[in-house]
Amino acid sequence: MTNGDGFLTERHRQDLVDCYEKLHGLAATCDVPAVRAAARAAIAEVHAALDGQAIEFEYYSHRWENR
Amino acid sequence: MDRSTLHKFWNPVTETMPRADLADWQWRKLERALARAKAGSPFWAARIPDGISSLKDYAERMPILRKADLIAAEAEAPPYGTLPSTDPSLGIRYHQTSGTSGNTPLRTFDTARDWAWAVDMWCTALHGAGIRPGQRACVAFGYGLFIGFWGMQDALMRMGCQIYPTGAMDSKTRVQLLVDKKIEVLASTPTYALRLLDTAREMGIDLARDGSLKRVIASAEPMSAATRRTITEGFGAPITDIAGMTELGTIFMFECLSGSPHIIENNYIEEVLDPETGRPVEYGERGVRVTTGLGREGIQVFRYWTEDVVIKRPWSECGCGRSWDWYAGGIIGRHDDMRKIRGIPVTPVLIEDVVRTFPEVFEFQSVLRTVRGLDGILIRVEPHTGFGVTGLDERIRAEVKRKIGLQPEVELVGPGILPRFEAKAVRFHDER
Repeated sequence: MTNGDGFLTERHRQDLVDCYEKLHGLAATCDVPAVRAAARAAIAEVHAALDGQAIEFEYYSHRWENR
Repeated sequence: MDRSTLHKFWNPVTETMPRADLADWQWRKLERALARAKAGSPFWAARIPDGISSLKDYAERMPILRKADLIAAEAEAPPYGTLPSTDPSLGIRYHQTSGTSGNTPLRTFDTARDWAWAVDMWCTALHGAGIRPGQRACVAFGYGLFIGFWGMQDALMRMGCQIYPTGAMDSKTRVQLLVDKKIEVLASTPTYALRLLDTAREMGIDLARDGSLKRVIASAEPMSAATRRTITEGFGAPITDIAGMTELGTIFMFECLSGSPHIIENNYIEEVLDPETGRPVEYGERGVRVTTGLGREGIQVFRYWTEDVVIKRPWSECGCGRSWDWYAGGIIGRHDDMRKIRGIPVTPVLIEDVVRTFPEVFEFQSVLRTVRGLDGILIRVEPHTGFGVTGLDERIRAEVKRKIGLQPEVELVGPGILPRFEAKAVRFHDER
């Protein structure tokens, strides 16, 4: 599914938000260092995409437990 | 808006947002940013007035922040003092200001989220400048503590460009790389771009003819019109002016393909104030930028007096399609760099704009001084090697007199006498 007008479709928008939430879940609960680090890095990137699309979202970093 | 127009934008939604929606979005982000700062930063908890209810209320009641305030707050408990709104141990990067103004460097950190946002600001600018995936790019930058082009490096990679890192290379090696690798995008300070041109000339290389550059990105210094022309002609490629600040953590302004330096307004609130009265000026009037960052969580900045002199123009006067206002001529100069000599205002860019019209000039330096009780200006000029310079001092003196109204003393100096710069150049000295 693509959109030709440069704006997000409703489906894309929902996928982006879902993706952000799923990454948060992984970052908070996964014990595999490599997966946890990848999830945390990806959260920051997806966060920038949400902001650029003017989508309301959780605004600040979680205080990750240092493991 | 048709598809070809929309694909000019990195984020079509926020770049073309109707002004009323943009103001609403700014206010929603500001509300959250203020709440965050109040909760997390002792410095901001003491400064932010209670009950700010609108953008207008904010502009009227929020106190102006000066660089000295930031430095004093950090000095209380180095490195960051009472400033951070977020635990500094979440920082993944450390940067500090260059200290070219003689101040104590301002220290700053970025969380992963801050850095991803900072990089996205660069992507907004680079995409707006026409840079696209697959292009070969060279960032001619020293990669030290100064934030400079770090964000651009990461932005190019995020966009899918191919980076040629040149951190420790000398100018000759960089020139050769530009030619051999058919580099299409070059980023540097305007000062260093001029140095590369001079080096290429010494090597017998004409970068406009022998190179493959499609775009030069200039940042980290104000740039005179004459310098701009020299760089554009020398590289045979258009130039894009991008401006940022360590205090904000990234860039806030970039030039679109129509030539208007737009403010990234979904992430900044930019006021322009009269430096004497502190009141807002109208569109088209000269004033000092006062900025608020809306995108950073670690070290936040509200109503920061930048000293940058600007003239704001409305978005509608640029035809690129963005709904963001812009600064005519970019950053025109710095208010704290403006000096009066015998009643005539003089700035570094004003002098540069005259001196750089002479192709014989390689490097120069302006010294304001008092001789026998009279204020005056001495311009030391180092010509390019191999140029005839007969009468150059006289011609520069006459042109400065004609354009600025002051008769300077002009001294021609030998090769290698004046200092060289890669990052922020300091060519203006007040010895009075």
